Amino acid sequence: MNTVVSMAGIVSILRPRQGLDDLACAGFTSLMPDFGLFASAEGMTEADYRPETMRRCYQNFRAEIGKRALAFPVAKAPFLSLTTERTDLYTRIVRLNRDCVRACEEMGCGSIIVQPLFAGIARERIWEENRAYYLTLAQACEKAETKILLPNQYREQGGHLIRGLCSDGASAAAWIDRLNEAAGGERFGFCMDSGYCNVCGQDMQAFAAALGGRLKAVILTDNDGRRDMRRLPFAGACELYSGTDWLSLIRGLRGSGFDGSLILDMRDTVQAFSPFLRPQVLALGRAVADYFAMQVGIGNALKKYSSIVLFGAGNMCRNYMKCYGTQYPPLFTCDNNEKLWGTEFCGLEVRSPEAMKCLPEGCGVFICNTYYREIEAQLRAMGVERIEYFNDEYMPSYYFDRVRREE
Amino acid sequence: MHNIGVQTKNAITDENPQEGFALLRRTGFSCCDFSLNAYLTNQALYGFAVNDFFDKSGRELETFFTPHKKAAEQAGVRVSQMHMPYPNYVPGASPELNEYLRCVVAPKSLAVCAFFGCPYIVVHGFKLAHHLGSEEAEWERTADFLDSLAPAAKSYGITICVENLYTSVGSHIVEGPCCDARKAAQRIDRFNEKYAAEVLGFCFDTGHANLVGIDFEPFLTTLGKRLKVLHIHDNDGVSDLHQIPFTFTRTRENLPSTDWEGFVRGLRAIGYGGVLNFETAPVLTAFPDVMKEETLGFIAGIGRYFAGELSSAPGQEKG
Repeated sequence: MNTVVSMAGIVSILRPRQGLDDLACAGFTSLMPDFGLFASAEGMTEADYRPETMRRCYQNFRAEIGKRALAFPVAKAPFLSLTTERTDLYTRIVRLNRDCVRACEEMGCGSIIVQPLFAGIARERIWEENRAYYLTLAQACEKAETKILLPNQYREQGGHLIRGLCSDGASAAAWIDRLNEAAGGERFGFCMDSGYCNVCGQDMQAFAAALGGRLKAVILTDNDGRRDMRRLPFAGACELYSGTDWLSLIRGLRGSGFDGSLILDMRDTVQAFSPFLRPQVLALGRAVADYFAMQVGIGNALKKYSSIVLFGAGNMCRNYMKCYGTQYPPLFTCDNNEKLWGTEFCGLEVRSPEAMKCLPEGCGVFICNTYYREIEAQLRAMGVERIEYFNDEYMPSYYFDRVRREE
Repeated sequence: MHNIGVQTKNAITDENPQEGFALLRRTGFSCCDFSLNAYLTNQALYGFAVNDFFDKSGRELETFFTPHKKAAEQAGVRVSQMHMPYPNYVPGASPELNEYLRCVVAPKSLAVCAFFGCPYIVVHGFKLAHHLGSEEAEWERTADFLDSLAPAAKSYGITICVENLYTSVGSHIVEGPCCDARKAAQRIDRFNEKYAAEVLGFCFDTGHANLVGIDFEPFLTTLGKRLKVLHIHDNDGVSDLHQIPFTFTRTRENLPSTDWEGFVRGLRAIGYGGVLNFETAPVLTAFPDVMKEETLGFIAGIGRYFAGELSSAPGQEKG
């Protein structure tokens, strides 16, 4: 799984150097070029999009990224505003996106996200129009392995954003299958935008399940559930809770065996912070992207060890045993509560932390307690290595109750 | 022409049902959605509290509702659909409470529905995806519940209707049970095949669909003839407000933020011939009580508007 960051809001097309340096400092090694920042079918007649200026910006950007050890697993072609009613742009869109496909290949991008055609097309014609359009773009690819990714869309109803093209998982999957069949190979895949799903209140788990292996990229972004914003995940919290169903997304990506690009798009959050603070915001963004990668691949940490033990004999341990205990059975668990020593919890013997001093070779210790850092320090002081944090925030399933013990 | 209905909550009282049903008829409703859920509320159930209403025997329940039934008949208002109390399963509640909901409240609700001669009863699917891990696992529990009711429903000639619901993540409403029309259609077909009768159907709730951005037209056309009843109401796309259609807009162009045109197109495409039923009880508390008649009349007027839009392709109605 790649963790990728969108350049939007971070890398200025006029002066890209600082943004690229900030991203490198934050530890990002993969970038999603957004060609919409350089060219827009709607904006090409506006002064800001003068072709010669944009060409110069793009060449400068290419020169700057060429100096850095950055990967470009996926790029984004220019999108029309989803609320546009302009229907006079299709010739321009086709030409522009053909150029973007070629630019994508020149940069070494393996895939490019291309928005479906929508404005002014009758519902009954939408598939045929898009079929021809996408196959034209596939023919424009010089490399057979370049993939075109279809994204989910919303549409506007009197200011209310509702489900648009490719927002039904089963229908989107059918489109991709039919396109691949027509193209004679796996040339098309899907990019799921969590922000668009969120404004449409969608079950992202079911969406991802319907797409299965067709899902090649996921845009991680947050909003208030009403408007199309591009916030850092968790930054849209209200009344102590995130309003985005991350549990559903993570379950869906795990269930579909997702191994594509996790693309962080946080342009609004980054732009809202002072340039003074952007390096710290980007570092947080990096941590958030890594956190999602960890959650989606939560089984990967367990697979690393020949045996495991747990630290903690409470609800997190119980959740571990419910969801992973059969596949990855621990040798035992331990707890700082001496009243529990020698007892059994969820089928595990509860031992003193001293038991951690004589673990078999290759055994990993999974902390099942939210006081992670405190416990990690305790274990390290005992000479324990191979320490991992287990996390039950996004479990495959949950108990209906919680274990409650007197302090 | 389609019949127009409205829920009885806030319109009909136990003390004087004649007055309420006469009011419904006078204001333009020929049908009603009997709010059985008003006798055991969701607020109470989520607080693990159960009253003794459904402790009544079948005979006692019939006696209790006889004045309502007679009043409806006298007024010429048909009980065309009923809402079962919900939830039918309360996560975290005692096994006794959940057993009571399954084994007492639900079957007695069906019996009351039959007593009224009502062909459809709307139930809520279980909201358990968070705990059980998936919508499929959640549906299995709902299906098990429906299986417990299906034989009785078949013998009564009642179709149980599942409706599209929402759930909450923090303060944000997202899709809940029965929001995938394709799955709903398959499940309904399987159920009806299993029981060799139309024991299961669908209730499309416009407000819930609007909250989770569902595209009305393809949803309705996917459901097709499985769509039996409606909960028509409107909201701001944020909260489940159960207000009058066409009330909400979000732009200075002042166009509706709910896709009522798509709603009409979808119903027309499937030849929906059922009742145009409004689930707008909160409107009657929002408007001054002295305006109740005008308010109901206005809602019925919107029903007539929808009926007119649909009249080019009327279908057949059951019951």
